[in-house]
Amino acid sequence: MKAWLRFLPSIINKSIISDTMKLYDIDFNILKANISPRGGKMLVDISGPQESESISFMEEKGIEVIPVLKVVKKDSEKCFECGACVSLCPVNAIAIMDDWDIDIDNQKCIGCGFCISSCPTRAISLME
Amino acid sequence: MKTIEEINQKIKEGEAVVVTAAEMTQIVQQKGSKTAAQEIDVVTTGTFGAMCSSGAFLNFGHSDPPVKMTKTYLNGVEAYSGLAAVDSYLGATQINQNPDIGLDYGGAHVIEDLIRGKEIELIAEAYGTDCYPLKKIKTHINLDNINQATMINPRNCYQNYAVAVNSTEETLYTYMGTLLPNYGNVTYSSAGELSPLLNDPYLQTLGVGSRIFLCGTEGYIIGEGTQHFTQADRHKGVPVTPSGTLMLKGDLKKMNPDYVRGGTMPRYGPTLYVGAGVPIPILNEEIALRTAISDEDIKCRIFDYGVPRRSRPVVKETNYKELKSGKIEINGMEVPTSPLSSYKRAVLVAEELKKWIEKGDFFLSSPVKMLPTQGQIVKPLNISKPSKMVRDIESKPVIITHLTDPVKEVALKLVENNINHLPVVDSNGRLAGIVTSWDIADAVARGKTKLEEVMTRKVIIAREDESVDIIARRIDKHNISGLPIVDKDSKVKGMITAEDISRLIGKNN
Repeated sequence: MKAWLRFLPSIINKSIISDTMKLYDIDFNILKANISPRGGKMLVDISGPQESESISFMEEKGIEVIPVLKVVKKDSEKCFECGACVSLCPVNAIAIMDDWDIDIDNQKCIGCGFCISSCPTRAISLME
Repeated sequence: MKTIEEINQKIKEGEAVVVTAAEMTQIVQQKGSKTAAQEIDVVTTGTFGAMCSSGAFLNFGHSDPPVKMTKTYLNGVEAYSGLAAVDSYLGATQINQNPDIGLDYGGAHVIEDLIRGKEIELIAEAYGTDCYPLKKIKTHINLDNINQATMINPRNCYQNYAVAVNSTEETLYTYMGTLLPNYGNVTYSSAGELSPLLNDPYLQTLGVGSRIFLCGTEGYIIGEGTQHFTQADRHKGVPVTPSGTLMLKGDLKKMNPDYVRGGTMPRYGPTLYVGAGVPIPILNEEIALRTAISDEDIKCRIFDYGVPRRSRPVVKETNYKELKSGKIEINGMEVPTSPLSSYKRAVLVAEELKKWIEKGDFFLSSPVKMLPTQGQIVKPLNISKPSKMVRDIESKPVIITHLTDPVKEVALKLVENNINHLPVVDSNGRLAGIVTSWDIADAVARGKTKLEEVMTRKVIIAREDESVDIIARRIDKHNISGLPIVDKDSKVKGMITAEDISRLIGKNN
């Protein structure tokens, strides 16, 4: 699953993430991270048989885990399906469907934002 | 054999058989062109793409006291007002006067907002005359309260278009969208088999006065568009490079924002997405056959937009079936493709036009004059003072330093030659990096002694056959002050600096 992990300043000096990985043997892919002594957040993709246990562990240790259902959002009023974004996606998360609709697969999306800046009508935005 | 009059009679009686160009391709494949020509009366086409050469004439009406507008701004976008007193032409690609808004809201956006019925701020300046005393006016207008709002697009519906790719190592922001480095993506803009002029490649059925679908209402072809070109190479009758164009007219007051949109090509500028559809009367078997063209049979060429010259090199030839598959092979790599025009909306245009004709709301018109089909070429603009090339100013002896040179020696070279940049070469004489006087100061401050630790490895370079204007743009874009000049084999031929360019400008003016 994709999730935002929020760190309070009180826990940034603890090695919670590496403990989680060691204890639960999960795949832990960091897509975005911005953490300083004042706390911060990271966007991650976690998977493995002990996924839910690992999340409970992180929450116990003080990390706020906010599951992400949508990384980006497409405004269907603004989008007229030109397709300029399709070839710019580094993870092939944007596709032209059989009916020529543009579809963004939020499971694949890593939130890089390239489609956002390439859109002629600014129809795509990042979900925070 | 049919005539337009006969087809119009059928439309009147609700008996005309109308299909879209995509449907026609299937029909001819299944039934053959002879049967198709007998059964089908009209083929509708459609496109919905970025058409920069678009705009609208607006007549604002006279104020009291009256004003002769000389500078006109609509929501901060200038419209050309060198026409009578209260007429102006708002061009789609005009950018905003406010530098904070710039490319994000331009002429095309104002056109869309007008069509959406929004209030638009109008500011006009004037010099004042006996009959038009007012010198400045600030008010609001909307589509209802102005007299005329007539879209006149000098160049729309290009018959085929270039396909873009970027061979350089940096991302380019072009009118063909964002082009990723190292052939990272391919963009194309034609609607392919649904595109109006690709379905009548010899312009046999349309001309001045042809009634068409334009932005959700009826419009007219008023002539060939600017840059109309008739001499392109053809495959199965269809030009393989940008060819014929149309000049179109329509009433903004009747347009529908579903079929016209303002947009901004990132870091390039505003453009208008125009939905246009041309009905093609199936007068005979040949015309039926032409409208049956398939994406696979419409060839087009991929050009390298990494070369910022008028003639860009062709990378390869492809077709719209391949482009629409989403990926294409270039130099052994699989490269993703992006359309820049909306095929979904192009289909909607063709289907909407089909509906109008079926319902008897839209009749075909015979052209009063055909469009030119031969002898039309696109002439280049020759610059009276030819562009200076990099090779023209590389007169100084080439000063370089070697990878193995100690920092102290590099410092000495900079001082002795009174320069700030030094290209670093490897043992084969190939460019390995660049070192500046600032880098040397940094090395001294931090106690670094090896050149390799100090120099910049990712070097922005110049080529001898590039125009100095291109280099000036590169210096500005990368915020640097000098570039090594390098030949095909990465051998350093010299340096070009911001100072060289300023000196050149000083000398020329």
